[in-house]
Amino acid sequence: MSTIETSGKAAGPVGDTSSAGPRNVSPDLMAMRRRDQRRKWSEIALFTSPALILFALFVVFPVASAARYSLYKWNGVKKFSEAEFIGFENYTRALWGGNDPATQQAFKTAYSEPFWQAVGHNVLIIVASMAIQLPLALIIALILNRKFPGRSIVRVIIFAPYVISEVIAGVMWFIIFDPYGIATKFVESIGLSAPDGGWFESQTWGIWTVFFVVTWKYLGLAIILFLAGLSGVPQELQEAASIDGASWWQVQRRINIPLIGPTIRIWVFLSLIGSIQLFDMVWVLNRGGTQGQYATIATFMMQFGYFRKDVGFGSAVAVIMFLISLLVAVGYMLTVLRRDNDNSEVAR
Amino acid sequence: MAHMRRMAAIAALAASSALVLAACTSPSEDPTSGPTDTGSNSEPVTLTWWHNAVAGDNGENPLGDLWQSVADEFTADHPNVTIEIEQIQNEDLQRTRIPTALQSGDAPDIFQQWGGGELAAQVEAGYLMDLTGPLADTISSLGGAVAPWQTAGSTYGIPFQFGVEGIWYRKSLFEQAGITGEPATMAELGDAVNKLKAADIVPIAVGAGDKWPAAHWWYNFALRSCSKDVLQASGTSFDFSDACWVQAGKDLEEFIGTEPFQPDFTSTVAQTGATSSAGMVATGTAAMELMGHWNAFVYDGFMETDEDKAALSADLGWFPMPATASGAGDPTAALGGGDGFSCYIDAPAVCADFLAYIASADVQKRFAAEVGGLPVNPEAADSVTNENLKELAAVAGNAGYVQLWLDTTYGPNVGGAMNDGIVAIFGGSGDAQGVVDGMTAAAVVQ
Amino acid sequence: MTATLNQAPPVSPTDESPAPVASPRRGGGMNSSVILAILVGLIGIALTLGPVLYLIVGGFRTQGNLTSNPTGLPDPWMWQNYADILKEGIFWRQLFNSLVVALGTTIGVVLFGTMAAYPLARYRFKGREVIYLVFVTGLMFPLTVAVLPLYFIIKNLGLTGSLWGLIIPQIAFALPVTVIIMRPFLRAIPNELEEAASVDGVTRVGFFWRVVLPLARPGMITVGVLAFIGSWNAYLLPLLLLTGDAESMTLPLGVTQFQGEHASATTLIMAYTSLSMVPALVFFLLLERRIVDGLTGAVKG
Repeated sequence: MSTIETSGKAAGPVGDTSSAGPRNVSPDLMAMRRRDQRRKWSEIALFTSPALILFALFVVFPVASAARYSLYKWNGVKKFSEAEFIGFENYTRALWGGNDPATQQAFKTAYSEPFWQAVGHNVLIIVASMAIQLPLALIIALILNRKFPGRSIVRVIIFAPYVISEVIAGVMWFIIFDPYGIATKFVESIGLSAPDGGWFESQTWGIWTVFFVVTWKYLGLAIILFLAGLSGVPQELQEAASIDGASWWQVQRRINIPLIGPTIRIWVFLSLIGSIQLFDMVWVLNRGGTQGQYATIATFMMQFGYFRKDVGFGSAVAVIMFLISLLVAVGYMLTVLRRDNDNSEVAR
Repeated sequence: MAHMRRMAAIAALAASSALVLAACTSPSEDPTSGPTDTGSNSEPVTLTWWHNAVAGDNGENPLGDLWQSVADEFTADHPNVTIEIEQIQNEDLQRTRIPTALQSGDAPDIFQQWGGGELAAQVEAGYLMDLTGPLADTISSLGGAVAPWQTAGSTYGIPFQFGVEGIWYRKSLFEQAGITGEPATMAELGDAVNKLKAADIVPIAVGAGDKWPAAHWWYNFALRSCSKDVLQASGTSFDFSDACWVQAGKDLEEFIGTEPFQPDFTSTVAQTGATSSAGMVATGTAAMELMGHWNAFVYDGFMETDEDKAALSADLGWFPMPATASGAGDPTAALGGGDGFSCYIDAPAVCADFLAYIASADVQKRFAAEVGGLPVNPEAADSVTNENLKELAAVAGNAGYVQLWLDTTYGPNVGGAMNDGIVAIFGGSGDAQGVVDGMTAAAVVQ
Repeated sequence: MTATLNQAPPVSPTDESPAPVASPRRGGGMNSSVILAILVGLIGIALTLGPVLYLIVGGFRTQGNLTSNPTGLPDPWMWQNYADILKEGIFWRQLFNSLVVALGTTIGVVLFGTMAAYPLARYRFKGREVIYLVFVTGLMFPLTVAVLPLYFIIKNLGLTGSLWGLIIPQIAFALPVTVIIMRPFLRAIPNELEEAASVDGVTRVGFFWRVVLPLARPGMITVGVLAFIGSWNAYLLPLLLLTGDAESMTLPLGVTQFQGEHASATTLIMAYTSLSMVPALVFFLLLERRIVDGLTGAVKG
């Protein structure tokens, strides 16, 4: 955030004479200054209040309510005033089945195992995004980073899936990956077979099919972001290096990739946050599978919190998801992104 | 000045959007907020009606057509009433549309109702219109069949079909595999499965993708494993500590271990498409399916011509769930359920009259004759011509007792947990204890 | 860092890129790296467009044709699949709903967000950074975390089933990103303009309306497009709020409802889904050029 401070001066109020002028101020000047201050504050209020009010009412308040609901046993139908306070029991049920020995086994199977299963799916998607999407997008961007016939068409087309809604993309791929659908016919024609149980329903491969669909939708974004970053790399650097005898790959590795480091790091951040919150697509793909084979934390929350009417528990899961996002975001900003901030300050 | 013009344009756009919004939102509020006070026939009233009759694979929709005629006839008789119908596929209707609509308060006037604990939960939440008074005559004419649609002595829904379930099978495929006679015990069923596998026919189709078709297998095992007392007490106590419940799961695991089902069954849905479980039986890919009475007309929906339909109907047989080797359950007990409709609590009073019309003898006879369903109105019993349905009705009549589908009995929370646990057994990711655990946990939090 | 966006902003794909890395000694034109680029580009196009084309063409098939010959051309060409959908009002109705909601959200977001960013950018006052931080932490509150309580709030306000119940929260959730993007834009307006305006007797408010807004247009377009796309594709909140009849639904929700209603008619679903892609793609094609400056400015911080 500190870089924003230094770019562009924050203009003081027009006509504010408080920073200059003689020390002995007349009463008239004081009155005028006070009037100015009041006007300034009322203007600030005028400008910021619509946004702040909406934000407080519809963002902050619900999140605070979620924290509150998470401490109760509530089904969302009866009045909240009749709900039973159970402290952190919802959280312990999610984490290890709760603290009541009589029901712990039941909650472990019913609540805790699916919860950790969903968390595992999110983690898998995050790791796979870094391990597969990132290098893939990078290499493709590096290859496409030149003039070639059809360049603009290629860029427009590979970016298009990002614009389509996750729901529509999900419905489309659900049809394609129907066990009797075209994907199966395609792999059978080359001698392979669809995963056991179905493309999505397979215990081992279901989550990978989902990852494939997510990649289809978002890889183009990564490629375009990286291309935008690469466009900022001065041509002379690359030319100089190749004149000195560097191979194409050496130029990429030593010059291009490091110089688009900030762009890469931003994309990683966006990808992290997006992977944690993944909902729409997974929900449309049969709600995460008949046995939660590819459920995410968000779909798990909706399944139990809304459709199974355990709003308290759903709220607890939501709060956990929030804490995970917060930790990841803050941790990332403090470690990885700080480097970019420091660098850009030095560059100034 | 340009920016002024732009400000004006933005303001105009905002204003017109607001106007448009206001205009757009009001129509969607009308249908569900008709006058609730009067039985007077002069106020214009619109009823929205959600039901699960959608077109079959062959594009035909006999039940949907019947409902449309019923609606037309009613509006002809009551000129101030308009009925807007939305046909919604069963799973979507029951899993998503009805729950979200009831929760949000923006619900249709008339909607599908399966009774049992589901109904009790909706009554407790204050969603349903009490029909005890307005429909006293209809209720008494339907007799005991209304019981699942009642709670605490009052009636909140009117059924239009009810029947027990059993195993539908293709006679020709049985012949082909050399199976003589209908299996009466699980051992005989296992035999039949082996013979069908030897003849390269899928023995049993199950639509585990929709969860409940798979769950019905467990329900039937529970019916055979648990005594009548335990079963009936569980509906109110939600106590599943008796060992018979885990035993049901173990029986199911054993049965699944013999591999009687089609491959990829958790990707198979129940009723839509030729690759659904119903489609497989209709096209002769699979020999058997555990299903309720409605399959009599669902199978029809896969046939294009009348001859095909007749041929299929003649080739279909039905036998009740076989008896297990052991278990505290009554071997003549049957699992059953049906469909009905409820009125939303804020629906206009004429909604109740419409339900009475649906349950009237005349409409019920047409339901049996035109659609091929199993009506509840005793006066329509003779209109049932389908041999299988007649046998089914006889089994129901002679059963030791009829237990309502367990997921309907227990309501959406426990029922949903139960179905999930059962599908996990099918998919290999869960076990018999897991089902009971899920039900216990759901009972604690509801 | 300005780019703590939890919704990835679109970038213009037609950015200029540097000339091929080729030393002056090698001849220009078709060398291996260009061929590789074309190859990769073609593969990218095939993988991206292939499924979409399958869907679109699938909408012209009959069910039988889909199962028996999915890779060939439809035979017969069922024009009426698409025609029936277009003739019936519901698709257009849902399209219209989506449009109204997206426009309402965009206008609200751009207006309130820019207004809020203005004092944060150009005034000095105690608590300024605190307010800014409030908006930044808002990025950590995704809709999924707040949706259950938000749903109850909207229900208590009686706004379920109404498009306003969708617009207002969507505006609220899009504000953090907007404020964060707009602040540097508004900061970059030179102070001399402001001083000149005050000399002319223009109030600060007047300065905002007459000078700042026009100058901040690139930023406003960026945040407007972000908000529009986000609203257009929204699914979770409409799922919970627009429960009544299909006429009140937005397009993504309508697609799933259509899928539920016509579960056995896969080709019909394909047609409906294809048509639902069109508005977003048209919007994208029209605006992809306009997006570039705002975004690269935001990303480079």
